Amino acid sequence: MRHTLLYILLFGITLLSHAAEMDSVFYLNDVVVTGTRTYKLWKDAPIQTRIISADDIMKVDATNVEDLLQQEMPGVEFSLAMNQKKHMNFCGFGGQSILFLVDGERLAGETMDDVDFTRLDMANVERIEIVKGAASALYGSNAGGGVINIITKESTEPWTLNLNARMSRHNGRRFGGSFGLNGTRWKNMLNVNGNSVDNFNVHNADNPAAQVVSTVYGDKTWNVKDRLVYTPTDKLKLIGRAGYFYRELVRTADTPERYRDLNAGLKGLWDINENNLLELSYSFDQYDKSDYLKIPHLDVRDYSNVQNTVRGIYNYNWKNGSILTVGADFMHDYLMNKNLGQEEVKQNAFDAYVQYDWLINSQWEVVSAVRYDYFSDKKDSHFTPKLTARYQPIDNLNLRLGYGMGFRAPALKEKYYNFDMVGIWIIRGNKDLKAELSHNFNASADYTTGNYNFTVSAYYNNVRNKLATGVPHYMPEDIQQKQLYLDYDNLDNYSVFGGEATTQARWDNGLSAKLSYAYTNERMPKDKAGNTINNQYIPARKHAITARIDWDKQFSKNYGLLVSLSGRYLSGVKNVEFVDYYDIAKGTNTIHYPAYTLWKLSAVQRFGKAVKLTAAVDNLFNYKPKYYYFNSPLTDGANLMLGLSIDINKLF
Amino acid sequence: MERSNPTYYLILTLTALFSLSACHGVLDELYDKPKEGIDVKEGQLYIDASSWTDWFFIDFNAANRNFAEGGTGSAFVKMGIPLGDAEAKSTREHPVQQTGIYTYWYDVFGKGVSNNEFDSFKPAEAQPEPETWHIAVHRNNVRTNGGAVYETTYTSMKSLPESSEAFADATFTEDEWNELDVWTIQKQMLNGLIGNQGIAINPVLSRWLSVEFPPPPNFKLNNHVFIVRFNDGTYAAVQLENYQNPAGVKCCLTINYKYPY
Repeated sequence: MRHTLLYILLFGITLLSHAAEMDSVFYLNDVVVTGTRTYKLWKDAPIQTRIISADDIMKVDATNVEDLLQQEMPGVEFSLAMNQKKHMNFCGFGGQSILFLVDGERLAGETMDDVDFTRLDMANVERIEIVKGAASALYGSNAGGGVINIITKESTEPWTLNLNARMSRHNGRRFGGSFGLNGTRWKNMLNVNGNSVDNFNVHNADNPAAQVVSTVYGDKTWNVKDRLVYTPTDKLKLIGRAGYFYRELVRTADTPERYRDLNAGLKGLWDINENNLLELSYSFDQYDKSDYLKIPHLDVRDYSNVQNTVRGIYNYNWKNGSILTVGADFMHDYLMNKNLGQEEVKQNAFDAYVQYDWLINSQWEVVSAVRYDYFSDKKDSHFTPKLTARYQPIDNLNLRLGYGMGFRAPALKEKYYNFDMVGIWIIRGNKDLKAELSHNFNASADYTTGNYNFTVSAYYNNVRNKLATGVPHYMPEDIQQKQLYLDYDNLDNYSVFGGEATTQARWDNGLSAKLSYAYTNERMPKDKAGNTINNQYIPARKHAITARIDWDKQFSKNYGLLVSLSGRYLSGVKNVEFVDYYDIAKGTNTIHYPAYTLWKLSAVQRFGKAVKLTAAVDNLFNYKPKYYYFNSPLTDGANLMLGLSIDINKLF
Repeated sequence: MERSNPTYYLILTLTALFSLSACHGVLDELYDKPKEGIDVKEGQLYIDASSWTDWFFIDFNAANRNFAEGGTGSAFVKMGIPLGDAEAKSTREHPVQQTGIYTYWYDVFGKGVSNNEFDSFKPAEAQPEPETWHIAVHRNNVRTNGGAVYETTYTSMKSLPESSEAFADATFTEDEWNELDVWTIQKQMLNGLIGNQGIAINPVLSRWLSVEFPPPPNFKLNNHVFIVRFNDGTYAAVQLENYQNPAGVKCCLTINYKYPY
């Protein structure tokens, strides 16, 4: 492993030393919005923001956010939870502490604490902004570990029509189309995407050390999205959107599982004058789960989460660049779940926040924010502060230091769940749960010179009252120990710390490269009495590397070629697990989950301006895990992918 | 308010959206509402056999009488599986066809349940039975009262030959001792340990509903009609029409039958 790391680093340094000087081609002048909820140039953003551009997405040929983040972000791992539900670990934070947004809006619904990642397809994505560290002072609950904001494209040409398809192993099929139209004061973009892959079996060696997977479940998804932008006056912009998502997964032939989402929203941006900007928005999101009983033809819903949110944000811009932001949200949250003790619960959540982005001079900028959140269920309320400073000693060098408090209010499920897990134990909610709090300290630096960009960051999180299931136990009166319970609980304090270093280079010969390394140290929490708990998820791997090298050459007016080699390496990880879940007195075992590396080689041929033909080999070195543990890559070998994309409007 | 004022547009559109939304969602029409009960027709039985610890004994004569009297054919008797003395300890010795609970380790999460190993045994009384019964069901297991079973290729009761004489030359299979399939105690399931009742079941008729692992269990319905020959020379034709209730609960059996056949 050490040799591999050394070679990769030497390779990166060699490339850098031979690079030619040219103007920077990085994201310096890209606008980001997630860190402060105001529009800032990337190079001047007071909160370090990682951008994954549409170009990056194209190079990775990602279908959904899982494909993309695993390849582009070291320290991000998607593993499995019970019933092969996908779980994300983002530098030591689970899906419940990383807030996913689409154009700034939350997503309804969760499974095993994570949003449905298959909803987040990569078609029509302009860029993804990733802010690490506690962002609860701006975004409230569930943003204790960071925010991932997916920004969608707006139509820019009179009309666009793209059709695309991709085939891969296990009957993998991906079809997509987008149609954009622009008028004088309006523009519309319609996207339709379908994706399917079959179930397939994988082989495990004898005597696995932990639970393994023997069937990998594929699925079928459909995603339809429309976004209409209307500008009735020069100072007012109205954005309307609607989307429908459908997914079917077959674990039991007679009872396919179905997942649906319907979302809609309207946002109004009023540029009152050069100093004042007002944003009002309304968002609706409904996420349902159902089982289709094939024999009697019944589609029976067993879960529904409906969120109605109204938001207002006001910005006052001083002439020197300082910005005052005041915002408030109201959300009505409805949850129907057959595994709740009372089947349906609802609550109202209200918050208000104020942020002052003080541009002291051309070198110093300080951002402070405070937010108040109120939840009607149990009348719970919280204040969360944030303070960040940016110092720019020379052009294109930013040094940042920040503190933020993160918090996560107990979800309705965590309060009211009552689920008999096939007789193994009953998972119970806990109405007395306190909010999970975290103190996040972070420092970062980024520097761009000529063709190179360097970014380093470090963080420390101290998490208190972590919300999770605790130690399996019998009730005191159950002398014969007939029924085991697993209750949601507030766990003891624990810490997560780590850092990331990324270097990127782009040269005028068409070559570009990116190398990222992440270190994560996640100390798993115990319960308040010091007992090892039943961790539902395997902890983060300490070391992770992602790497990509591209070569792009336009040979003639009608032919161009992009060749891309990308890979990731994840170190092994140890997890403490009970020897016997039914008798915790027997103690724990330390299970070692192995390291792995996966690589992908792709070639995109461009014919004219309209046609792109992609051939890719995923898992280039035909890696097959010996054991398909819950954090093993779900691959059974090299996967050849062939894709075609045609921009119909560019044919003429 | 003037139409040129941007606030007019904001308020108008937000009001329109609010009026369209619903706090509890708008997709209700896509789903079916499961009914409380099952509409059982004559010649049909519905049994919630999802319990791990009970057998449900069916008497076709009683079912016929029940229908004749205007009932719904719910003529079955539930009898618990003896689990042995709660204080008694299990033994590692593997007895031969002794009544009780046989605990096996199954490779539930790996190669499947066909990879298994005996773990322990706890004696228990023989399964109590009602005075008269024809077949008994426990989840996906089926017993006969001294009968034997033949699996036909018919998938509809209506298309069956007029009488059982058509199957006179068929090979019928009697019940066989089993200590692997009647899953009774799931207390240590996460460790792959499952306690099974040692009892004779019919391997052919039990094929009407199979369960495959690893989890989640994959239930497979076999809709063939089965012919059951009883000790008294009578025959029955039975078919499993469905194994779920309208709420999706598995092992809730809708059984078509014809008796005498």
